[in-house]
Parts: sequence; structure tokens; C-alpha cells
Amino acid sequence: MKKISLIALFSVLLLSMTAFVSQNTDGDRLLGVWEPSNGRARVKVEKIGDKYFGRIVWLKEPVEPATGENKTDKNNPDASLRNVPLKGYRNLKDFVYKGGDIWDEGTIYDPLNGNTYSCTIKMTDKNTLDIRGYIGVSALGRTDIWKRLEIKPKKATKK
Amino acid sequence: MRKLHLIFGLTVLAAGQLRSQSDSTGTEDDFSMYNDVDFVDEGAKRYCSPKIEGLSPAQLIYIGYDVQGPYTMRAESLTDRAGKELSGADEMEIAATHGLRLGCNIPVISTTSLVWQMGFNYWQTNFEGMEQALPVGGRNKVIDQHRNAFRTMGLNTTVFKPLNDKQFLLFQGSSDLNGDYTLSKIMPLRYLKYSGAVIWGKRPTEKKQWGVGLARTYRVGELNYIPVFMYNWTDAANKWGTEILFPARAAVRRTINPRNMVFAGFELQGQSYRLYKDETLRPEDLEIRRGEIRLRMEYQFSVKDFLWVSAQAGYRINYRYHSDRLDGGKETLRAFGLVSDAPYAMESTLTNPFYVSISVNLVSP
Repeated sequence: MKKISLIALFSVLLLSMTAFVSQNTDGDRLLGVWEPSNGRARVKVEKIGDKYFGRIVWLKEPVEPATGENKTDKNNPDASLRNVPLKGYRNLKDFVYKGGDIWDEGTIYDPLNGNTYSCTIKMTDKNTLDIRGYIGVSALGRTDIWKRLEIKPKKATKK
Repeated sequence: MRKLHLIFGLTVLAAGQLRSQSDSTGTEDDFSMYNDVDFVDEGAKRYCSPKIEGLSPAQLIYIGYDVQGPYTMRAESLTDRAGKELSGADEMEIAATHGLRLGCNIPVISTTSLVWQMGFNYWQTNFEGMEQALPVGGRNKVIDQHRNAFRTMGLNTTVFKPLNDKQFLLFQGSSDLNGDYTLSKIMPLRYLKYSGAVIWGKRPTEKKQWGVGLARTYRVGELNYIPVFMYNWTDAANKWGTEILFPARAAVRRTINPRNMVFAGFELQGQSYRLYKDETLRPEDLEIRRGEIRLRMEYQFSVKDFLWVSAQAGYRINYRYHSDRLDGGKETLRAFGLVSDAPYAMESTLTNPFYVSISVNLVSP
């Protein structure tokens, strides 16, 4: 009897987990590596808790021409953050999957001017995002198109 | 017992899968794996941006005030259509010229492949005259109209169409109602002035764009068709740059940081103000061809986030302040004397004052 109860308990647990996972699968389509239209950076979207975040994992020009050092967030309005390396910087924050093809309530940070904008992400197809940064209302904004990337497998080195 | 192990194993697997999707906070220092990538499907078609790195932010909404110091306005005599003198030569001391300037440029479409903005602008110019004796024969009729405020009100549109990742087309058009009308009695729309520019340009790097084109403009006070040249550039260290749309404006930019910028340069301003309010003068179809060059220093800074202030001070140099008679409403196209050397109905000169201008701006992403 004890054995049957244990099996039932595990089954319920398994079912509820499966349901939870499938509920979140749609939102997780956002996970992956993306490239903005200007091709100057690559951003990896990850999930932390129930929210989606993106961080810069590649820069076309990773080095500051004036100093020869790796680029940092030198334009951040918070002076204490200006030495934080741009590579690895979270520039997309707090996106919540709203159903359909929309992730909303997030922000996007522009390291070029240190501004943070409200942002909505719309997936126009499984490999394309419309990223709209705006001020206050969506009408006062700009949309950029990001494309999904796949990482090439590393070639095995011959010994 | 085997059954129990199977269930336990599946549960652990499911939990592991759940964890991998929800927890990705781990530090990832090996960024080299992102060097070699492919687009999953066809690559994003790349379009050049309307901006370059380091450029001052575009204004979405602005409200400001412009004040010119004292100067002297001198007018020659004015004749009517029949050649009879309407007014004699006159001179007036202007204590100050000042007025509200507000406008907006709202994006209708703002994507990587097309940017289309629509805007509205309203400028008012009030003339504060000094108390002085009337000349013999009374005040010159055109000078007398400066008791009224001059207004400019219009709609404008800007379309930026990138052709590829390096080349673009830029179109700007505007329709303005300029004159001494009041807001309660606005001039008929047949007096609208249309201006525009088309520019083809290149953006070879993230820090440089240039273009050439043609403009139909009233900036020098009267209708003209002139070539235009655009050159926006930022140096490697993001400290210096230029923002040039010649001949309309040109400035050297010194960037203290992306939220504090200082400019030195000039701007050409001008309108063709119709003298409409005075009903006795209205049949003469007179327009004041105002054109001026503003040599200026400007400081732009962010007060908070997207709220910026622009403070500028400089010297206003009068280029033209003559009055034209538009027979049958037709424009006189002189093109700096190349097309026509038609005389003006009345010639005027202004001395040159210092000026200040301040505005609060909501800037664009």
C-alpha cells in the first residue's frame, strides 16, 4: 500500500512538472543567441525564474580604440558601473512572456548613450524578432530586427 | 521496485530539464564560442541606420523661447501696384524680438528598413518697439506691421529609406503658413509655402555619413533651389564630430559625454512672411523675405533620461529683409540673380543683435 502511495505521489509530481514545462515552452522560444540588424553585437537570451534576460556575448569591435582596452560600459549614468565589461553585460532585462508571440514589460539598454528604454519583443517568425524600444508610449520608439544565430560546432583538433 | 526506479528516474529527468530552462545565471566567461556562428535561416538584410555613433539625439518634442537683443530696422520707401508711394523711408529701433518655439516629430513608422516621421511646428516672433517719434508722413506701412506678431505654423515629414547597409535616401518636406495672422484668424491655406529636400547618401562607417541632394527652400528668405551637402562624423574617441547639413546648418561638436555636448557653428533661418492682417495692405500681396545667419554656440545636455535642454547664444546676422510683391500670388525666383534680377517692392536693412535661445526637448531613442 505504501509502495502504491509513493508511486501515485511521484506520478502527480511528474504530471504537474510536465504541465509546468509545457506551459513555459512557448515563452522559451525566445531563448538562444540573436544578432541585431546592425551586426555589431550578439545577444544571448536566457531565462531566470519566470523572466527573460539577454546579455551581450560578442562585439564586432570589442576593443576601445582610444585605449586598446576591452570595452566597458563607459556611458552608464551610474559612475560605479562604468568599468563593467560590455561583454557579458545584461542589456535586455525582465521580459515576461505574455502569450502568443509577445514578450513585454522589459527594458533594453543602449551602451552607446547609457539610456535604458522600455521594450517589447515580438517574434515575427521563429528566427526573427522585432525589438521595439520606446519612451513612455510605444509610439515614441524604434523597432529593430534581430535574427537567430546558431553556434557552429567546434572542429575536433587532430592529435 | 523496478517500476519505482523508473518513475524516480523520469522525475529527476523532468526536474533537470526544468532547471536547465529556468536557471541560467551561471557565469559564462568563454565568449569565444560566439565568434563562429551562422544565421539559422537567411541572414537579416542589413540596412544602414539613420544615425551615426555620437550624433546628438533627435528631438521628438521641443518647446523653447528665442530672444534677440536690440537692433535697428531701416526701410526704403514703398510704392503701390500703380507706382504711387504708399509709405516713405523709415527707421525703427527694435528693443527686442522674442517668441515661443514649439514642435514635435513623431515616428509613424520606425523600423530598420524605413523611418517615417510626421511633425508639427509653431514659431512666434514678437517685436518690441521702442518709443520714438513718428516720421513725417507717418510710419512706413511695412515697418508698422511689426506691431503684430509674426507666426510660422506648419506640418513636416521626414522619410529615411536605407537602400542597403551603406546607402540611403532622405526626403524632407514641409508646408508652412508664415505671416502676421492671428491664431483666431488664420490666413487661407493658399498662402502655404512648400519646401523640401531629397538627399542621397552613404554611411561608410558607424561614425560617418554623408550625402548630396537638392532642396527647395525659403531659408534665405525667398524661394530658392539649392544643392545641399550632409556630413555627419564622429572621431574614434567619440570626443569630436561634425553635424552638417550645408547650407542650412553646420556645427562642430565636442562631446563631453553622451549626455553633454557643446556645439559651435551656424544656422541659416528664414521665412517669407505674408503681410495679411492689415486689410488696406493685403491687396498688395506683400511678403517680407527674411533670411538670417546665426553664428552660435550651443550646449545640449540631458536633465534626466530623455529630457534634454538646449541652450544657445550667438550673433544674428541679417542676410535679407526685403519685401516682395507677389503678382497674382506668383513667387519670384531670383536664384541669387541667376534667373531674375527683379527689384524688390521695398528694401530694408537690419543691424545685427546678439541672441539667446533655450528649449526643453524630449529626445528620440
